[in-house]
Amino acid sequence: MNPSSRHEHVRAASRDLRLRTLSQYPNPLGRLIYLASLRDYNSGLYYHDGLASRFSEEAACEALADSHREAYRELLSSSLEDIVAQLEGYMLSTGRDSYEFLSAWKSLRPYQVAIPAETNPLAAEFLFSNLKIALAILESRSRTSPRVEPAASQPLPLAR
Amino acid sequence: MITLIFFLVVAVALLALLLVLDPRTEGAEGSARALLQARDALHTLQLDLLALNLVQNIFSPNDWKYVSANAPVEIQNLFMEERRKIALDWVGEIRLQLICLQHFHRRHARHFVNLKISTELALAFDFALLRLQCRALALLLRLRGPYATPYIAGKTIAAAIRVCAISGQSFAFLAPATSPIADHSAGNGAAA
Repeated sequence: MNPSSRHEHVRAASRDLRLRTLSQYPNPLGRLIYLASLRDYNSGLYYHDGLASRFSEEAACEALADSHREAYRELLSSSLEDIVAQLEGYMLSTGRDSYEFLSAWKSLRPYQVAIPAETNPLAAEFLFSNLKIALAILESRSRTSPRVEPAASQPLPLAR
Repeated sequence: MITLIFFLVVAVALLALLLVLDPRTEGAEGSARALLQARDALHTLQLDLLALNLVQNIFSPNDWKYVSANAPVEIQNLFMEERRKIALDWVGEIRLQLICLQHFHRRHARHFVNLKISTELALAFDFALLRLQCRALALLLRLRGPYATPYIAGKTIAAAIRVCAISGQSFAFLAPATSPIADHSAGNGAAA
C-alpha cells in the first residue's frame, strides 16, 4: 500500500471511529479514558475489533492513536472550569456513587495511565494537576450537597 | 631543579586547559550527538514548552478566578501551590533546554552551519539575558505566586521564541528529515 492510500485508509478509519463510537462520548475526558482502555499496555498498540474488520488492524491502530492524541490535546487546552464539568459528566455517566468514584480516582489516579505515549512530561503534569484540583472541587461539592445515588439504582424516568 | 619543576607544572596545566577548551576533543560523534540533543531541545521548546495553549493555561488568571469564586479556601491554597509548582517546573525546563541549545551553539554549531559572527554574538547575548530572565522569573514565582508576574513571564516567553527562531537556522539543513510526512508516520508508529 502506497503512503497516500494508507493515509486515506487511516483517515477513513478515523472518520468511522468518530461517527460510530466517539460520538457517544461528548467530552474529551470520556474519549481519553475510553481510547486508553483500547491500548495494550504490553505493546502500546490499540485494538478495536469492529474498526479492524472494516479497515485493517494497522489503520485501526493509527486511527485510534490519532484520536487519543486529539482527545488529550483538547483536554489539555480546556479551562479548569471545563475540566470540572467534564469530570462531573464522566462521573455521572459511569453510574457510580459519587463518593466511591471520587475516592477511587483520588487513590488510583487512573488518568495518569490514560495519556498517549510520548507526551511532554510537563504538559502531562499540568493536566494531572488540573484533574487533582477538579477532583478536590467535586469532592467539596459532594460534601455540601445531597449524595448522588448510582444511576443503576435510580428509578427510570416516567414515560411521557 | 625547582625552576624545572615549576615549568613542568605550568606546561601540564596549560596542556590540560587546552584539552578542556578545545571543542574538537568531543570528536565528530560528540558533535553529532550534541546536534541531535540540541535539535530535540529546540523541538521541545517550540512544540511543547512555548506552545501557546500550554503557556496561556499556566499563566492565565481565569482558572484562579474560577477557583476563588467556587471553591473553599483549602482548595484555593491547593490550587495556588499546584500552579506555582507547575510554573516553576516550566521555567526550570525552559532553562534546561536553553542550556542544551547554548552548549551546542558555543561548542558545535560552527561544524554544521555558518552563522554570521554578529548573529552568533547576538545569540550568545540573548541566551545570557534569557537565562537571567528565567532566574528572575523563578524567584518572583517563588515569592509572589504564578499570577504576580505577567509582564516578566510575557517578556521571557517572547525572548525565548525569538532565540528559538534564530537558533533554528542552525538546524535548517536537517529540514528534509523532519518533513511533516516523515513526522506523521514516525509519530504514529511510536505511539502505536
